[in-house]
Amino acid sequence: MYWKQIHAAWFGIHFFLLTAVCFAGVFWLIAQGSTILSSAFDEYARRAELVATWCLGKEARASNPLRRGIATYLHAAGIQAGYSFFAPNVPSQHRLTFELFYDDGRIEYESPRMRSKAAALRLESLLDRLPEERYDSVREALVKMLAFSVWRKYPDVKKLRATLDSVHAPGITEFEQGKTETFQPMFSFDFSLRDEQKQ
Amino acid sequence: MLKLPGSQINAGVSLAQKWWQSFCCFLFPPETDTWLAVLRIGLGMHVIVYALFLRSDWHYLFASSGKGLVGREVGEAITSFDSPLIPTLGWLVAIGRNFNISEEAVLSIAWICLLSAGCLLLLGLFCRPAAIVAWFVHLCAAESGGLLAYGADSFMTTALFYLLLSPLPDHYSFDHWVAKTKPKNPRALGFWRRVIQVQLCFVYFIGGLAKCLGNGWWDGSNLWRALIRPPFTVVPPDILVRFKYALPVLGIAICLLEVSYPVFIWMKKTRLIWLVCIVAMHAAIGLLMGLYLFALVMIVMNIAAFGVISNTATPQSATETDAQ
Repeated sequence: MYWKQIHAAWFGIHFFLLTAVCFAGVFWLIAQGSTILSSAFDEYARRAELVATWCLGKEARASNPLRRGIATYLHAAGIQAGYSFFAPNVPSQHRLTFELFYDDGRIEYESPRMRSKAAALRLESLLDRLPEERYDSVREALVKMLAFSVWRKYPDVKKLRATLDSVHAPGITEFEQGKTETFQPMFSFDFSLRDEQKQ
Repeated sequence: MLKLPGSQINAGVSLAQKWWQSFCCFLFPPETDTWLAVLRIGLGMHVIVYALFLRSDWHYLFASSGKGLVGREVGEAITSFDSPLIPTLGWLVAIGRNFNISEEAVLSIAWICLLSAGCLLLLGLFCRPAAIVAWFVHLCAAESGGLLAYGADSFMTTALFYLLLSPLPDHYSFDHWVAKTKPKNPRALGFWRRVIQVQLCFVYFIGGLAKCLGNGWWDGSNLWRALIRPPFTVVPPDILVRFKYALPVLGIAICLLEVSYPVFIWMKKTRLIWLVCIVAMHAAIGLLMGLYLFALVMIVMNIAAFGVISNTATPQSATETDAQ
């Protein structure tokens, strides 16, 4: 009997949440100063982002039932992230290289690999997330696990050094001048079977 | 206390009623289920392709620490910080453990369930249960591998979420032939199509707006960087550089196409042009960047939402079904 009202109410709530998610993402980009807008907008964008995240319950305690309920719904509907792919600019690519040190002094180089291209895309997605600030707390653990996945293939390795580089691709003009990509090391970790050391 | 004259209250009420009626007209247009058949078949294909693409790496991606690439525990811990109620593959593994089923076996069963659900959706057999299983298993995989997920996963979850809520089965499905199901309420069909249409308007408007805010989309440098960025490199840069004058035009065209989508896709005169351009853009993304899954799900959603010509049910039949 009330199916229209119920559907309309769901429609309103659903798209209200989606609006908040999308604009939180856009305001975050502006607040980061990564857009063509003047830095005068940064502070307003930060405030607007706060309003949007407040609507999503993200300002409440992590154990707040409303916050959890909204987060569960957003994930279930696949609308937890905004749609600013490759925006405002295409992000830099990242490369993870492992130096494998053997007992006899040999050094080999290896990268984490997947069998299929579809899975390789996912690995790239993970590598691009590693330098992000929000993954600071899990970065070392993630790199350690990636290192362990390589280690399983080379059990004779004594020590392993993981280095994440930011890859700077040449622009069109630079490419025409014969320039190739350059690598900027971002961080590296040393791992051994018994202990691991951060550099 | 402020008292309003009766005529003003009546005018307010009638205005609200008019607004509600026009909102209902927009939200519940009578529709046939052809668009739903397109969405079901398209998503069935998509789920099958997704499962087959990840076949060889499925265990490696989603196994626990020490067995897989990074172990799904990290992704699941990040997800559970958002909410512990979000389903993950860890749930299925825990259930399997109670029945003495190994983690490997559970992951294999999950993969088989996903592939089977895709096949059933394609055929239109057990449409609703198949849609629920496909959505649930994919959601578990996407959340467990959250750090490994990308845009295609979100769109796949969203599309399957809308599919499972839509009035299935459609009359092109085996379910309809076998069980002779009653025709669905045309206004409910119209509502769910409207939801997908509005969702796509959000996707493109926000995507276009965010791109417009980046200088690299106006001079073509972002398009260049996107196309030469491994693992998206399908066209060698030597060939791409020959089209360097076209890149700024294409970059601006993408921004304008996306940001104006919510306007021109609704106009009858421009709908076909915008739809063809958007589908062409996704086809190009799929072919030139190797993002086949992303391209497929976006093309399916666009065609289901705006591509299927609406054989609008007569208002009379719609009213009759409403009354039922």
